[in-house]
Amino acid sequence: MNRRTFMKNGAMTLFATGIGGVPSFVSYAANSSKIIQPYKKNKILICIFQRGAMDGLMAVTPFADVHLKNARPNLFMSPAKNEGNIFDLDGHFGLHPSLSKFYDLFKEERMAILHGVGSPNKTRSHFDAQDYMESGTPFNKGTDSGWLNRAIGLMGHDASPFRAVSLTSTLPRSLYGVNEALAINNLQDFSLKIAGNNSTIKNTTATFEDLYDMTSTDILNKTGKDSFDTIKMLKEKNLKDFKPKASINYPNSALGNALKQIATLIKMDVGLEVGFAESGGWDTHFNQGKLDGTMARNLSDFSDSISAFWNDIEAYQDEVTLMTMTEFGRTVHENGTGGTDHGRASCMFVLGNDVKGGNVYQNISSLAIQDLEDGRDLPVTTDFRSVFSSVASHHLNFNDTKGLFPDWEEKRIHLMRS
Amino acid sequence: MKNKVYFLILTFFIATILFANPTPKLNGTKLSFPYTKMGLNKKQATVHLLNRFTYGIKPGDIDNVLQLGLENWFKKQLTAIQDDNELNQRLSGYDALTMDNETIVNSFIPMYEIKKILKLEGINIADSNFEKPRYKAIVDSFMKVKNIRLPGEYQRQLINRKILGAVYSNNQLNEILTDFWFNHFNVSLSKNQCAMHVLTFERDVIKPHILGNFEDLLIATAKSPAMLEFLDNNYSVSFNNNLSKLEYQRRINKTLESNVSPLQDSSIIKMIKQRKEQGLNENYARELLELHTLGVDGGYTQSDVTEVAKIFTGWSVVPMLRHSDYRKTFDKSRQYNIEKLGFVVDGNFLYRANRHDDSIKNILNYHFPSNGGYDEGVDLLKKLANHPNTAKFICKKIATKFVSDNPSTELIDNMAKTFIKSKGNIKQVLITMVNAAEFWDQNTVKNKVKTPFELTISAIRATNAEVKQPYQLFNWCSNMGQKFYNYQAPTGFPDRSDYWVNTSALLTRMNFGLAFSASKLPGIKMDAALINNNYEPESINAAIQSLSELLLPEVNSEKNFNRVLKLVSGKELTNKLEVHAFNQNKMENTNYDIMDSSKENNLQKMNTSITNEKLAQIVGLLLGSPEFQKR
Repeated sequence: MNRRTFMKNGAMTLFATGIGGVPSFVSYAANSSKIIQPYKKNKILICIFQRGAMDGLMAVTPFADVHLKNARPNLFMSPAKNEGNIFDLDGHFGLHPSLSKFYDLFKEERMAILHGVGSPNKTRSHFDAQDYMESGTPFNKGTDSGWLNRAIGLMGHDASPFRAVSLTSTLPRSLYGVNEALAINNLQDFSLKIAGNNSTIKNTTATFEDLYDMTSTDILNKTGKDSFDTIKMLKEKNLKDFKPKASINYPNSALGNALKQIATLIKMDVGLEVGFAESGGWDTHFNQGKLDGTMARNLSDFSDSISAFWNDIEAYQDEVTLMTMTEFGRTVHENGTGGTDHGRASCMFVLGNDVKGGNVYQNISSLAIQDLEDGRDLPVTTDFRSVFSSVASHHLNFNDTKGLFPDWEEKRIHLMRS
Repeated sequence: MKNKVYFLILTFFIATILFANPTPKLNGTKLSFPYTKMGLNKKQATVHLLNRFTYGIKPGDIDNVLQLGLENWFKKQLTAIQDDNELNQRLSGYDALTMDNETIVNSFIPMYEIKKILKLEGINIADSNFEKPRYKAIVDSFMKVKNIRLPGEYQRQLINRKILGAVYSNNQLNEILTDFWFNHFNVSLSKNQCAMHVLTFERDVIKPHILGNFEDLLIATAKSPAMLEFLDNNYSVSFNNNLSKLEYQRRINKTLESNVSPLQDSSIIKMIKQRKEQGLNENYARELLELHTLGVDGGYTQSDVTEVAKIFTGWSVVPMLRHSDYRKTFDKSRQYNIEKLGFVVDGNFLYRANRHDDSIKNILNYHFPSNGGYDEGVDLLKKLANHPNTAKFICKKIATKFVSDNPSTELIDNMAKTFIKSKGNIKQVLITMVNAAEFWDQNTVKNKVKTPFELTISAIRATNAEVKQPYQLFNWCSNMGQKFYNYQAPTGFPDRSDYWVNTSALLTRMNFGLAFSASKLPGIKMDAALINNNYEPESINAAIQSLSELLLPEVNSEKNFNRVLKLVSGKELTNKLEVHAFNQNKMENTNYDIMDSSKENNLQKMNTSITNEKLAQIVGLLLGSPEFQKR
C-alpha cells in the first residue's frame, strides 16, 4: 500500500465517518502498530547547503602550507596568537575560531571534516555548480531529479508524508523528483486561516481540497494534496510541546530557525528521514574579514545553529547524521577587494554518532602555484559524490549507489563506522 | 565615364533600398494572430492574450478588446502611450519617484550616515545617548530641517509604485516588461551598496528600453550605479596604465626631491599597500556572459571571463553622498579637465582611466588592441548584445515568460532570427512570438502558473478592488516565495511553474484568497457586489455562475462549479446533513403531514438569500482555487 492510498483509506475514512474530526496522520499512525514501528527506527539525514560557496581555506585552514600565507597577505590565519589563534586540528589544518563549537564535536570524534571536496565539472558559476551538486550529475543539466530525492527512492520503503522536508520557502533542487518531498517555511503557519466556526473551517478546507483534487494541472494537483495532508498532520500535535529546552540557544537566523523546526519534526516522531536547510551569504568577494567580518559572522551562525540543533535532539543523536555542502570553494589568493573569488574545492563537515570523527579526510598536496587548478584554485581531490554516497548509503542503509549517482564509479570513503 | 560610374553606383544604391531590403519595418510590425487556425474562438483568444500581457483581466476588459480587435489592442500596448492619469494621481504623494540618484542618496540616509553628518555639523551625540528621548528629539528635528528621511521610506515608495503600477496602469505590457527585464538584469535591495539605486535602475535604466533595442538596454545596465555596485565592478581596478604609472612615479619623485626615502613616506607606503590590495573582480564579467548575454552554454571559457573583467576595470560610480570624502575628492578633480585624460563622466557613471587595464585583450574570437580605454567596453557590449548565442538565450527567456515553461526550439529560432535581423529590437521579437501558432496552441493556454505577484495583482484587478495601502501585498508575496526587489542572486527569480508551487506557498495562496475576500487586508477594499456592477443574482447558482465567468473567464469546469455550490448552498455541514436526511425521509415516508414544513421553508430561505458575505465566500474560493493560480 502506498502512502497516498494509506492516507485516503485510513485518515480519510475517519474523517468521513466523523469519528476523529479532521484527521491527524499522527493520531492515525498511533492506532496502527504496523505504521508506527518503522518510524521509531528511522535513520535521519540532515543536509545543509551553504549557498554562495564557502571559503574552505579559511574555515579549515591548511596553515602549515607556506604558500597560503603568500597568497593571502591579508586573510591568512594560523594557530599563532598574532595570526588568528585558530584551533590546531592536526598540525596541518586549523579550525576558524568562530567554529569553536565544531572543535568540541571534532575532539569528541563525532565530527569529520572532508577537505578538497568539489565537483569534477569546472564551472565557477554559483547557479550551475549548485545545480550540478544538487542534481548529483555534474555533466548533465537535464537530470530532472535531485540526489536526495533519489536517495529517498532507494531506501525502498514507503513512509510518512513527512519523510523528506526542506525548511525553505521553495523546494531545493536536491529534492526535486518523483518521491514526495515538502517545502515548509514555518511549521506554525501551516494552516488554512478561515473565519468562522469549526464546521465552516472543516467544510471550506474540504472544498479547497476537492478543488485541488479535481484540477488537471499536475503540479497544482499533487502539491495541493501534500498541503492538505500536512495541515492535518500538524494540527493534532501541539507544536509548543516540542519547543527546545531553555538551555538551548538557536541563533535567530534563517539557518537557526530552520534547524530548530527540523528538530521539532524529529522530536514529534512524524517519520522524518531527510531534512534540508540552507545557509546564505558565503559569496565573500568583498571584505571577507578574518576574526570579525562577514566570514566570521557566517561561521558563528553556522556552527552555533548546528550545535544548538545537535543538543536539541539529544535523545535522537544515534539516529541522526548531519552533512554540510557548498557549491565550490574560493581562490587561494585573495582578490583586490579584501575577499576571494570563485574557486574550485572547499570543505564539508559530517556530524553523527556513526561518523568516524576527529579526522580531516583529504588528499591535498600543496598550495604551490603549480599544484593549483588553473594556477589559482585548490584542486578538487575528492568528488563530492564520494562523500554524499558514503554518508547517505551507509546512514540510510541502501546499496544501489549507481542509482544514486548514475554514470559514476563509486569511490567509497571510509568515514562511517560499520 | 566618371559620370557613368556614379550613375551605376547610384542605381545600384537605389535598387538596394527598393528591392533587396523591402521595408522590413512595415513587414515586421504586421500583426496577425493565428488563433482561429489553432482552434480558439475570438473570446478564448482574447482571454489568453489578456492573461499573458496584462496583470489580470478586469471586468470589462474582454469586451473592450473584442471591440477594439486583438491585434489593435496589442499594437496599443506596444506603443505604451495610453494616459495613466489615475495611476499618476495615486502616486502623487510619492516624492522619491521623481528624484535623481544623488537626491535619493542624500534624502534617504541610514542612521549611521546621519550620525556622521551630525558630527560634521558640530552636533556631537555619543552613541549611548542616541536612543534617549532628548537626543532623539534633536536628531528628529535635524532630519526635519534638512529634509532627511530613513531609507525604509524610499523602499516603501519603490514597492508601492510597483504594486500600484501593476494594478492601475493602462500600459500593462509596459509594467510586465519592466518586471521581466528587471529580473533578467537582477539587482537587489538586499545588498546595501546597491539598494539606493534600485529605483532609478528600474525607472531610468530598464523602463526606457523595454521595447527598444537590447543593445541599448545592455549598455545602460552596464553603466548603472545599481549594477556596478551589485556585481562589485565599482571595485574592480587595475594599475596597468600610464596614468597610474605616472602618478606613482610623480609621487616617488616628490619625496626624493624633499630628500625623504620613499619607503619611509607614509603616503607612499599607503599607496603601495592599496595597489597591492585592490585589483580585478570577475563578478560582473561572469554574470554579463552567463546571465545577461550569451547564456551558460554560450561558448565562453574562464579565460574569457578574466579578459572581460579587465575590459571593465575602471567602470565605476560617481560618489554621491555629498558629505563623504570620496565625493569631495571627486568634486576637486572636476576642476581639471579629466575628460582630456580619458576619463568619462556620464550622469552617475564614472570611467576612471587611471584604474583601467590598458593591455591587449582577447575575448571569444574578438581582439581588442591595447589602450582601448572606455570605448572597448562599449564595443564589447555591442558585440555581445548582437551575438547569435545572445539572441537565442534572450529569445528563450522571453518565450518562457510569455508562451510556456518549455518553448519549442522552432519558436526560439524564429524569434532569434528576428532578433538578429532587427538588431535586437524587442518589439519585433515580441511580434514574431505572438504571430506564431505556438503562442495560440490550446496546450499553451493557461499553462503558466502565476507568480505570487501576478496572483495578488490579478485578484485585485479581477474584483476591481480599491488599493489604499499597497505595501501589505509585498508581505503576502514574500510569504509565497517572491520577495520582489530582494532576490539575492544575479539570476533573478526562476521562471518555472514548479518553482512557485510548493506545499506552503500553495497554502499561503489559498489564505490570500480567503483573507482578501473577507476584507481582512487593511486598506484594500473588495466589494463582491461591485464585481458584477451591483447586479443582484437571482440565485446562488447564478451568483457562482457570474462570478466564475468574471474571475475565471473561459474556464468551463462544471465539477468546480458544483463543488463550490455544494459548500455555499448549505451554510454548514449540519444543515446539509439535515437537508439530506430530510429528503431521505421525504422519499421513504409517505406521510407528509408529519414533516416539519416550517423547517423546510427556513432551510430554503437560508440557502437562497444571497448576502454580500456569501458572494465574498464564493470569491475567496475562486481566488484560492487551482484555476485562478494559472494564467
